Order: sequence, then structure tokens, then C-alpha cells
Amino acid sequence: MTLSRITTKADLQDYLHAAMQLEHATIPPYLTALYSIHPGTNSDAFHVIRVVAVEEMLHLTLAANMLNAVGGEPDMTRAGFVPRYPAYLPDGEADFEVSLERFSPTAIGTFLKIERPAQAPSEEMRVLRRPKPRAAIPAVHPDGDDGLHFWSIGEFYAEIARGIQHLHDQGVDLFTGDPSRQVTPELYYSGGGEVIPVKDLASALAAVELISEQGEGLTGSIYDEEGELSHYFRFQQLTLGRYYQAGDVANSPTGPALEVDWDAVYPLLTNATITDFPAGSEVRAAAEAFNAGYAEFLSLVNQAFTGQPDLLIPAVGEMFALRDQVGRLVRNPAPGRPGVNAAPTFDMPETTR
Amino acid sequence: MPSSAPVDADTIYDAVIVGSGVSGSLVANELSKQGFHVLVLEAGPGEDQTIRGYEKYLSRFYEATSKDNNSPYPANPNASMPRSPAVHSLAAGQPDSSSYLVQNGPFPLDSTYTRTLGGTTMHWEGKALRMLPEDFETRSRYGQGLDWPISYDELAPHYRRAERELGVSADVQDQAELGIPFEPGYVFPMQGLPASYLDQAVAAGIDGTGVRLDGEDYHLKVRAFPQARNGIPNAAYDGGKGYVPVGAVSTHQVEQGERCQGNNNCVPLCPVQAKYHAGKTLAKALAGTVGKVDLRTQAVASRVHVDHVTGRVSHLEYKAYADPGSPEHTTHTVRARLFVLAANAVETPRLMLASGLPSSSALMGRNLMDHAYLLTWGLMPGPVGTMRGTVCTSGISDLRGGAFRHGQAAFAADIHNDGWGWAGGTPEVQVLDLVDSMNAFGPDLRRGAVDRISRQLLLAWMVELMPDPSNRITVDGRYKDALGNLKPVLSYNIADYTLAGVAQARSLSRRLFQRLGVEDHTDYRPTDVGYVSYQGEGYVIRGGNHWSGTHVMGTTPANSVVDADQRSWDHENLFLVGSGSMPSIGTSNTTLTLAALCLKSAEQMVRQLRDETSAVELATTTGSAQA
Amino acid sequence: MSAQTRLEPFLAFSSRVTAFTVFELQGTGQAAAYLETVVGVVGEALLGDLLSIDEAIQREADGDAAVRDRLLRARIFSDERLGPVARHIIKLWYLGTWYALPKDWHEVFGSVEDDVTFVVSAAAYAEGLVWPAIGANPPGAKGPGYGTWAMPPKIPAF
Repeated sequence: MTLSRITTKADLQDYLHAAMQLEHATIPPYLTALYSIHPGTNSDAFHVIRVVAVEEMLHLTLAANMLNAVGGEPDMTRAGFVPRYPAYLPDGEADFEVSLERFSPTAIGTFLKIERPAQAPSEEMRVLRRPKPRAAIPAVHPDGDDGLHFWSIGEFYAEIARGIQHLHDQGVDLFTGDPSRQVTPELYYSGGGEVIPVKDLASALAAVELISEQGEGLTGSIYDEEGELSHYFRFQQLTLGRYYQAGDVANSPTGPALEVDWDAVYPLLTNATITDFPAGSEVRAAAEAFNAGYAEFLSLVNQAFTGQPDLLIPAVGEMFALRDQVGRLVRNPAPGRPGVNAAPTFDMPETTR
Repeated sequence: MPSSAPVDADTIYDAVIVGSGVSGSLVANELSKQGFHVLVLEAGPGEDQTIRGYEKYLSRFYEATSKDNNSPYPANPNASMPRSPAVHSLAAGQPDSSSYLVQNGPFPLDSTYTRTLGGTTMHWEGKALRMLPEDFETRSRYGQGLDWPISYDELAPHYRRAERELGVSADVQDQAELGIPFEPGYVFPMQGLPASYLDQAVAAGIDGTGVRLDGEDYHLKVRAFPQARNGIPNAAYDGGKGYVPVGAVSTHQVEQGERCQGNNNCVPLCPVQAKYHAGKTLAKALAGTVGKVDLRTQAVASRVHVDHVTGRVSHLEYKAYADPGSPEHTTHTVRARLFVLAANAVETPRLMLASGLPSSSALMGRNLMDHAYLLTWGLMPGPVGTMRGTVCTSGISDLRGGAFRHGQAAFAADIHNDGWGWAGGTPEVQVLDLVDSMNAFGPDLRRGAVDRISRQLLLAWMVELMPDPSNRITVDGRYKDALGNLKPVLSYNIADYTLAGVAQARSLSRRLFQRLGVEDHTDYRPTDVGYVSYQGEGYVIRGGNHWSGTHVMGTTPANSVVDADQRSWDHENLFLVGSGSMPSIGTSNTTLTLAALCLKSAEQMVRQLRDETSAVELATTTGSAQA
Repeated sequence: MSAQTRLEPFLAFSSRVTAFTVFELQGTGQAAAYLETVVGVVGEALLGDLLSIDEAIQREADGDAAVRDRLLRARIFSDERLGPVARHIIKLWYLGTWYALPKDWHEVFGSVEDDVTFVVSAAAYAEGLVWPAIGANPPGAKGPGYGTWAMPPKIPAF
């Protein structure tokens, strides 16, 4: 795709499509790691990952609200929306790939990169023009062009915020979407952050800010405005073995100790694809059933984002059913691969419509 | 442990609160918001202040072979709790002192309560019903029971505050139809919970059923109960400001705050804290910055000391233990300007009586009420998905009030989404029977499980009980617990007024089952605990854990233990709060009403603490510390 | 025979008597724990006998379910030594609980002295197969989501 600096409303919509894809792209890796943990073990790690995954769903919802607000049409069912892992993130961060893998130090290392604070040294460095990396996720219009790449998700959202402000300053009529498409706090809450219906400049910027702060923290702080620890530092607790508490500074948590048992984890096949499981096996059938269920789930959520927000409630039920399917997969040995277990593959049909 | 604030013997607290359940937590939070320094004493442990600690309750429940309603909570001889499996049939004149709650009879009551941080709201189901206006004046209206010293209208504003604090999900129109007045435009904090598929099937069969009682006609309608459980916030709440549900509490950030997931386990423990428990209020109180709340767990209040000159409570004694498995303890004294006993309707009078304070009315511990529950159960014609949803979403509330209360108890019915469990017919029991007695395996077993479980219908008929001074909690020097504290002794019987309601409920249940085509499997055996005969028919009656009435409120020191603010008539700086103050409970689960009462009382406490700021003469310690 | 080689016939037998597939049984994550529980109480020899007889029955029935069920009843479920254990294996899978064998069984067939009823683990409780059999979640675990209870039950075909 080409992510140029935002100069038109169409550019902004492209960015917001990419934002939805970006937010979604983090969810399968988080869920795979989450459900690879043996039930009843690793309570601390389980909750840390769970919270982040749930907040990514919140971010996805916020991105959909923004896209709807500016008259765009969310589409999570189009071909390529779900990346094939390993994958680069669709904001163009080119120095690491994201894998579907079990809970492990490697996985947490990747998660730290996903949530890394915006720390590009200068305005010029914030947006880099670099060659398109191998297997980058085609975000909006896969055209093979080189585009802009961001150092971090935070930088990506900074450009969205800049673009919104810029277009607004230019007098562009931005908020032309149907207000009834907005997802409201009644329909989505989880404890961390609240859905912001987007209807004007202030709410749009507030939504961007919420996403950025939950990810990387308020500038210069490990906490966001609500006093919530940012994702980066949540994950970092797992590598440092200690919780942050109020008053702590970056890299030096002083809260209660936290226990991680890296061995209480199912040995999943990393970046499994459907053809890794022999045709005709029960595992193959279950993996296919999961993929079909996931496609249906995305379709349901997409309907919620395109005019029927109430459908988010049953979508949660669908998600819990998928959770139980993943549970069965990861406890089964992968046929013909001694010592390795099956895993959800998240292979989507070309189009899930 | 982080929950145990050191108690400075020299500190004079503004208030000491005994009990961290819903009453104590609400009062602590209210006083703290007004800037006061409060100490909360909790007899049980406080392991659930972190998610990991809360999960310990959950895994203890998972691993328990007997999953009764106290199974998630650690056995603790130093602050024991009654457990339903420990209740046996009684032989005439022979008290059963084999467990913590001594049963003096004649009727054995299998009600329980929980002694842990958060109290019985840890295992409560979460129904949050307002009482009917007529419930406040049953003596004047029906010649039964006792009138309250306050009316529904006086309590209504506090009901609203309680519904906010507990986070109630309900449909206001549905409740208004029952004759409960709401202020114009009122909506509950959250929308009513969806009726279960089972509820819908029952409603399709019985809505509109006519019942004639004492010459008046009633028509039944299945409707959802108000529940203190996170649902969909009402955008129209609070004049359009909406409502933000309260999620899980923890000492570190977990952001678990989802709405009810339908875990079907409200009792004994909601795994995701979608259900209100007092820990949510207590967490706010502990985090508050206006006043200060200290919490001391594993601290059992053991004696209330009164200055006999002023009549005021001078100090309180408590026993602190480090290890629940050992009776080793230390005895401490704590002083305060105000004392609040919020230990529940058994433990509060037990403590007062053990302290030699029976009330000048002699009513301490008397008028004990609970609800009499009659269970009826059967199998619906086809699978209705039993074992899904909250433990109970809907029921029949149309017979909660009416002129028939002159002669018989009012009653209501819960449709249990958790099937026959309460009657002993759990899925486990069905599987064991299928395998061991029916010799089923393979496909027969799977089909059998669906046939026997997914069709289950259990109606729990809640029948009201009027206050009777001979139903009571006492203490007896022969019965002591591990710490040497006197155990509660229960004397309890069920009057014909209630039994008439029980018989009416059984008869109505037969009609409803006939309408529904339900196979009636209801079975009461003379060997069952709680078996009673009434007019030639046998019934089994169970307790509802709605202990109340034991420090009854009233209009004079002669007719009651506490006044309308739950303040002791005898001791002006002592409040006895909770359902023990309630003169009647109608057919309402007690928690919402006791919460409203506590919020009302807290206002009086604040006034009193403020009025006394000028050099209160604190009585000097008179009692001597006893180990 | 090692635990690993025992697992396959144990799962095959379990699948037949529970009417859940081997994939579903493995999906509980409890297979090894249940095998260990059974061996721990009744010993290798007894379980080995039970599984050998089961394999013989499969060969003899040759895919005929009616014959298979008749033979299972005749040679395993009605066998004084094997029957109670076979029924307990079903209960393990359905409920996650090992039930103590009757005292008289122990008197005749020996094995461990401290056989008690216990829930194999917290996870085992949540993995009881009675719950998926009826299309419900185990109370207190695997919550199905807000409002799902208003829909008709999804009782899986098998």
C-alpha cells in the first residue's frame, strides 16, 4: 500500500482502514499465546495478555468508529484483511515480524516490539520511506508501491491525529458518517478504557489518544491519563518479574513479585497453516472449523460496525465459543509431529463474505 | 499481609466497624467519604484482594468434591461459618452442637453465611429486589408481623443510592407493575438481564394463569428479577449521564470488568466478578483519600464494653490470629467514637449477647426471620437448555402482596437456570445414576445426560415468615468455638401462617406443571432435613440465607433494639446495622433493603460524628482485657 | 508398557464408552492425568487387562456397534473386577472426579489403601464432558457470554 502523508479525506480513510487492520493483526498472536497457557497456571501472565488483547479489541472498535465517523466503510471480510503469519504489521514497522506462537520469552519480546513507545529520534525519522518489506500485510490497496513506514504504532496514530487536525484546519467536512453506526459504551466495556463514539474533532482526537496511551503510555509516563499502565509496560512486567505500582518509573517496577512458568505451556506449532495438518485428521477438521468460525465472527463484527452495533453482544458469545475451540486444538498433538501440538491457523478463505 | 493494617492501641478511631460484608463496607465507604478515620475488623481471611487471591477461591471451588455455597472459602475454625451439608434432622429436645451453628430446633435451618472479606455477598446470588410498600406495614394492614418505623417512601431515596452502589440491572416498568412506586423517569443503572430460554419456555406456558386468593384474582406473568450484576448500562440513567459498571477489584491492574458471562455460578462465586460483592465497595473505601479506612482481617470481635455511667460503648475487644489452622491468638482493645456492628443477623446479636448486652427490650437475638423455601421440580417436555445463564433470571412475583396476607404468607417463585441442583439432582448426580444404575455408556449416556439435565425445571418458592420472638439466636456457655468465643445457638420454627403459604405454593406448582406438561419429580421424604407435615401433606423446607430481625428496629426502646437509624436505644454511640434491623422482609431478598438502610444510617452517623466534634468525653476503659 | 504407549488404547476405550472422539478427549488436556489417576489406584496390571480385552472386543466386533456393546457389557462392565473401574473411567471423563471404589472391591482386588474420592484438578473439573454433552458450560468456568442463555441451547450432535 501507499501510506503517504494525509492530505485528503480519502487518505485519512485509508489510514483508518489500515488502523483497523493493524489493531486486528495483533489479536491472533495475543490470543494464541494466551490460550497456549495451561489452565490454572501463569495467572499473572494470563491476565496481562488477556487485558492487552481485550484492549486491542477496544482499539479495533475505536478505529471502526473513526472510520465510520468520516464516512468510510469498515470491511473486515475482504481478502487479505487477516494476515498470513509471520507478518509485518501494516503500519510498516519493518524491523520485526509477528508470529503465531506459544507463550514464551520470544513471544513476549515480539509483543514488546508491537507495543513499543514512540521513540523515533526526530520528526523526519518518524515517518521513514523504506523499501516495502517481504510479506508485509497488504493494508488497503495492495499495489506493491513503496510507502511510508512508521517506527511504532504510536507514530502511526500520531500521523492520523495530525491528519485529522490538518483536514479540519483546511475546512474539510470530515464527520459526515451516519451517527447510528457508532458503537457506544453500552455495547462494549471491559474495565480498561471506554468506547468513545466519534462525532467531531474532539472525540476523534480523544479516540486516537486513548489508543496511543493504552499502547505506549502518556508521553514521559508509564501510565495513561486514567492511571492505567500502558501495554508496553504491562508486558515488560513479565520479563522483569515484578508488577509496577503507582509512582514507579519506566524499567524499575517496585510492586509485588510476579511469577511466570514458561513451561506450563502447550508446545504449539509456530505459525501453523492448515496444510500442516493431514487432510482427513480430526485435528485438520477442527482447525478448519475454527477458521470458518473465525471468519463468521469477523463477519458478525463487521455487521456490527456497518449499521447493526447491537450485534457486538452476540459477537462476544461467538468469541467465547472460539476460545473453547482453540482450547481443544492446542491440547491435541499435531499429527506426525512428536512433541508438538496443534494450533489455530487463522487461515481465511480468499473472501469470507 | 497487606490487608492487615497494624492497629494502634492509642488511636481513637472515628468509627470501628465489625464486619466487611455489604453493611460494613457501605458504612465504611460513606464515613470515609466524609473524612472520617475508620477501622474495619473482619473475622475471616482477606485473600481475595488480588485477582490471584480471588482465583484461589475459584480453584478451591473447582477442586471441592462437595460444592455447597461455602465451598470456595477456606475452612476456618477461628471464624467458622454454617454449612448446609452439616445440618441434620433434629430429635425432639436434643440440640445438635456438632457444627458451628448450634441447632436447638425444633426446625433445623440449613441457611448459611460467609465469614471472609466481603462477607456473604461473596456467595450471594445477586437478586436485588425492593420491598413492596405494604411490606413496611403488615401489622396495620394485615394484622400480621410488625410495622416498620419508616415507610417505603422514606426508604426510596436510599434504595436508589443502593441500586447505584450495587449496580442493579432491571426493567423499571416490570417492577412498577408489581405496585412498587418509582420516581418519575427513573431507570435502573443497567438494563434488565435477558430472560433465559428456560424462562421463555415457562412464560409461554404459564403467562396469564389466573389465581384466586381470598376472593381476589391475580394473573401470573414471568418477569426478570432485578439483579446486582453487570449488564448493559442504561444510557438514560441519572438524567442521561449513564452508568459505568464496576469490574473486578484487585490491588494491581487487571482491568477485568466484563458484563455477566453466564457462568451459572453466582452462588457460590462469580468467576469474573460481574456480580456485586462488598469487596467492590470496600476497595473504594480503602482507596479513598478524604478520610482513611484501615482494614484488619483475621480479627474476631469478641466483646463490646459499655461504660455503665454513660451507657456508651467504651471499647471493643477482638482476637487476632495469624493462622486459621491454629487457635493461637492475641487479644486487643480498640477505641472509637462510634461503634458499628455489621457482622450479620446471627453474628451481631451473638456478639452482643456474649458481651452481656441483651438490650433493655430483651429483644436481642429474637424475631429471627428467614425465608422458607419450598422446591418443586420436574422435567420439561423437551430440552430447554437448563444449566445456562445466571443461576436465576426470572420468576413469578405477582403473589408478593395482597389482602390474602391476612391469613397466609405471601410467596414468589424463582425459575432456576441451574436445574435441580438445590434439590440434590445436580448433573453429577444424574451422570452417576446413568452410569451406575442405568448401565448407560457411550451414546446412551450422552443422550441420557441431555434428557435428564437439559429438561430440568426447578421452581424455588420463597414463602414469607413473620417475626416471632421465640425464633431466636442465643448463646450458651457450653458451646464455644476454637478461639473461645461463644457459638450462636439457633431456635427456630415455622408458623402455620407460613405453612399455609407453602401449601398454596405446592398446589400452584402442580397447576403450573400441568399447564407446562412437566413431569413432576418433586419428592419430599420424612427422612429429609427440613421435612414438615401440614394438614396431612408433607413438605421439605429449606433456608434462604436471609437471616434478619434479630436486632429489630422500632419506635420505642421497649418494642425494639434499634431506632429507625439502626442506632441502639441503649447505647448512643452504637449502631447495629444490617438485615437484623428489619422488622419484616416480605418476599424480598434482603440485601438491597439492608444496603438502603445502611446508607440511611450512615447519614445519621455522619451527623452524630460532626455534632460530637467538640471534645467528646471518651469514657475511660472500664473492662479489663481478657485473653 | 509405558504411559505413552498406554495412552492410545486408553483413549480408544475412553472414546467408545463416553461417545466423545479422541480429539475431544485430548482436547480436555486431561488424558495423561486421568491415565495416571487410574493406574495410581488400580495398578498397571488391571488397566492393562481391561485395555487388552477392549482391543480384543474391537477385533471381534469388527465395526458392528451392537456386537461391540454386547461384548463390552459381557466382558467388561459386568466383570466384578473390571466393571467398577470401567464405570469410574467414564465418570472421570464426564465429571473430572475420581470416585473411591467400594470397600468390598478393594478387599477382593487389592490395590491402594487410601483410595478416596477427589477432583483430579481444578482444570479437570472445568473439562468434564457432561457440560459439552448438554451444550452448557461447567458452572463457574468457560462462561459463554452475555445473553447467550436467551438463545436455544446448542446441544452438539455426535
